[in-house]
Amino acid sequence: MFAVREIAVSLTFFVLLYCCFSLMVVLGWHRLKTLRLNEKSSADILFLARILPMLASVAMTCAFVVPSFQLLEPRGIEEETGMLPVAFGIAAMVFIASACYRVIKAQSRTARMVAQWLERGQIERRAAYTVCSRNDVPPLTLVGLCKPQVLVSDRTLGILTGNEMEIALRHEQAHISSRDNLKKLILQFCPFPGMSQLEMAWAELAELAADDAAVSSADDAVDLAAALVKLSRLVPVRVVPICTVGFVTGSVGLRVARLLEWGKTRENRSRIPRWIPISMLVGTAIILVVTYSPALVVTHEITEFLVR
Amino acid sequence: MKKALSILGFSSSPRLGPFEQQLLEEIWARGNATVRELLAKGTLSQAYTTVMTTVDRLYKKGLLDREVEGRAFRYKPRVSQAELQRNAAVEGIRRLLQSGETSSLPLSYLVEAVSAHDAELLDELQDLIERKRRELKSKSESRQGKGEERR
Repeated sequence: MFAVREIAVSLTFFVLLYCCFSLMVVLGWHRLKTLRLNEKSSADILFLARILPMLASVAMTCAFVVPSFQLLEPRGIEEETGMLPVAFGIAAMVFIASACYRVIKAQSRTARMVAQWLERGQIERRAAYTVCSRNDVPPLTLVGLCKPQVLVSDRTLGILTGNEMEIALRHEQAHISSRDNLKKLILQFCPFPGMSQLEMAWAELAELAADDAAVSSADDAVDLAAALVKLSRLVPVRVVPICTVGFVTGSVGLRVARLLEWGKTRENRSRIPRWIPISMLVGTAIILVVTYSPALVVTHEITEFLVR
Repeated sequence: MKKALSILGFSSSPRLGPFEQQLLEEIWARGNATVRELLAKGTLSQAYTTVMTTVDRLYKKGLLDREVEGRAFRYKPRVSQAELQRNAAVEGIRRLLQSGETSSLPLSYLVEAVSAHDAELLDELQDLIERKRRELKSKSESRQGKGEERR
């Protein structure tokens, strides 16, 4: 019974914390847009905000709830578990199962569609990308989680110049460095209503960050803009798998406008200085060390309240 | 905006007449206003009572909030222009999709319209890119010319 109670209480804490943190993020993430940071830093912050409820609730459950129950709950006394932890425990298990299902579904659908593209079309593997001769293949897209590869349709090769192709590949390389496909899959594990706007904002910023990373001169920017417009005309009207990053996504108009203003948009915004996250981590660690024992006691009191 | 509202209309959201739309836009532009302030601007030719009853109708339709100020009411928009526009668009698209016997037919009109709009936008963007290319080329040529003059 002790173990059952411990699991029920831990899951209850987890689900309550997750809902509270998620609600805070849904209500407050718009404020992050006011920070004057460059697109890469903004995208990183939005992604962190999106997964923070899951990270924080798992961390707090493991760091406080489980140890407080293990250390402070008397094992000899048989207590009945109340309805609240049982109900929340079941809700948490349903939530975790549905999150796992979403991840498996997204990944298997993506894998199936990519396999279709690669199996039925003619394939030509080159050093930096794979050419696929199928009409329904997106013009330029990044597929795969562990070993991402750039998939290019043969029509793309026909319409892009050498420079445009090179810059477009650099754009996809930036997505590979940021592990954006993996991030998209991680988002599937953190479902919560009202997060879609935050996810769209992140995806948009990730595109702009990849544009910035690909471009190092005004000529590059014009080439990338030209590639975007040319490939926009080729995009098939169909659903694209979740765990892929297409070259033509987000607002093409906004991206082209930014690229044509290259140089002016870059000057205004800065990156997050490294000392800020480091000092925040150190500060949190110090607070944790200092307040750990009292925090365990408080957590146990809340646990007792929940169990009864 | 007016076009979007009048073409798409509302069903879950209230339907608006032209004068109601005009007043709503005035209040959006000002942030908040009393009936007297709306008339003082001089753009409305209607009588005080007409404006008052129309604003009251907008309040009853849930589009405005009001608070007492002296012997009159001060009206504030309850929804933003963007929210109303979004609702109108969603409602219009929903009605469009329900208008045919099969949903795929109106959906195909929508895709056609969006594709045509997209093609126009892409043409405009293409023009901008070409202009920028020419601009960059002429700049680099003039720079080269200056360099050769110095030599």
